[in-house]
Amino acid sequence: MSNAGGSLVPPDRVHAGIAGIGGQKNAKMSAAGLTSLTRCGVLVLRSPAGLAVRYAQTAAAPAAQPRIKKFQVYRWDPDTPGDKPRMQTYEVDLNACGPMVLDALIKIKNEMDSTLTFRRSCREGICGSCAMNINGGNTLACLDKIDTNLNKPTKIYPLPHMYVVKDLVPDMSNFYAQYKSIEPYLKKKDESREGKEQYLQSVEDRQKLDGLYECILCACCSTSCPSYWWNADKYLGPAVLMQAYRWMIDSRDDFTEERLSKLQDPFSLYRCHTIMNCTRTCPKGLNPGKAIAEIKKMMATYKERKTATV
Amino acid sequence: MAAVVRLNFACRRGLKPLFLRSTLLARPLLVSHKCQEHPYQLTTRINALHVDSVSKAASRHWTAERALSVLLLAMGPVAYFNHGPIVDFSLAAALTLHGHWGVGQALTDYVHGDAKVKIAKTGLFLLSTITFSGLCYFNYNDIGICKAIALLWGK
Repeated sequence: MSNAGGSLVPPDRVHAGIAGIGGQKNAKMSAAGLTSLTRCGVLVLRSPAGLAVRYAQTAAAPAAQPRIKKFQVYRWDPDTPGDKPRMQTYEVDLNACGPMVLDALIKIKNEMDSTLTFRRSCREGICGSCAMNINGGNTLACLDKIDTNLNKPTKIYPLPHMYVVKDLVPDMSNFYAQYKSIEPYLKKKDESREGKEQYLQSVEDRQKLDGLYECILCACCSTSCPSYWWNADKYLGPAVLMQAYRWMIDSRDDFTEERLSKLQDPFSLYRCHTIMNCTRTCPKGLNPGKAIAEIKKMMATYKERKTATV
Repeated sequence: MAAVVRLNFACRRGLKPLFLRSTLLARPLLVSHKCQEHPYQLTTRINALHVDSVSKAASRHWTAERALSVLLLAMGPVAYFNHGPIVDFSLAAALTLHGHWGVGQALTDYVHGDAKVKIAKTGLFLLSTITFSGLCYFNYNDIGICKAIALLWGK
């Protein structure tokens, strides 16, 4: 019953052999046979003959029906003059598709419509490229499981209230410019020791950055925020504010007060009304709403702390 | 009321970079390289503008809003047990200011454009003035806010 045997024997014979064993041995053994069958299936699937085993496996529940899922995708092509945005429906067989929405999109682009345009890179929730609005919520397509309810089509839009470059690709330049404006890097008052040695941090100080540094700037939170929809030009939005907070509380950074005073206007920070869409939508499970609340507290007190240290 | 005036002032100062907005947003897709670098500088400049012009006005306003909200929460029970002109008039002032600031936030959110903002803020100021004077009139010439509300369950 070694699973190594499975990969050596041709797939159809593996199936026959195990069925025979199952008929002769007791229940315990047949259970073991089933496990090994599954293993064989996984192993052989990679080979070209894998399809045969697939069907053999599903033969127990007869008729491997295709599970056709509809995907309605926002389409708009700027290169076609006068083109208006429209929803295009694609039908994907979930049996022949990976589990995530991004898998379906890649399948559509590869096999059905190569003109479908979207950003993707790492396919594992690290790069933040494939942020889009799926079934009404902003999330990463690579982390969002396809809803297996075949009666309901999955609707895919670009991130809401962003300028669309094409199809599912939004224009992120304003978002990036805002990120740049908070100076997301370590700033020291005394730069004479720069490059000489490490700036060390206590374990506690380092722990303060947990839940902040993990942000991948996918903009799901910012584009889910109604305040950001109405005032994206002047309100920084949850993602950028959380990074601003990340640098404010960094024990190695010397510009906390300056960073805070940059937000002293009715728009940059105070357009946040604690709606908390940001925290709800974050595909990385972070809490930008809390970070903004912490900034507001720091804003109310930072002068006092400055005089206290002097 | 002094705070209201200061709020209006702060808002007006904060809205200065509004005219930059159209330049920022109306960015066509195909722009020359030189223009493409421009929006970044604009955003940075918007932030720099705020630093120069506003000291702690925005955060002080936020703190005042929170303080007033807490105060209003405390005033409920106080007004329930003490019906008197002092509570009546402070309720009138606190409620008006609370409403004024709250509606002001909504206006800052939704009203865009220098002229429209000016009209909206003036309208709000008028509305708050009328509300406050109306409540004061009611307190002075009639039974007052506390007793009027007590009538809902009393009598």
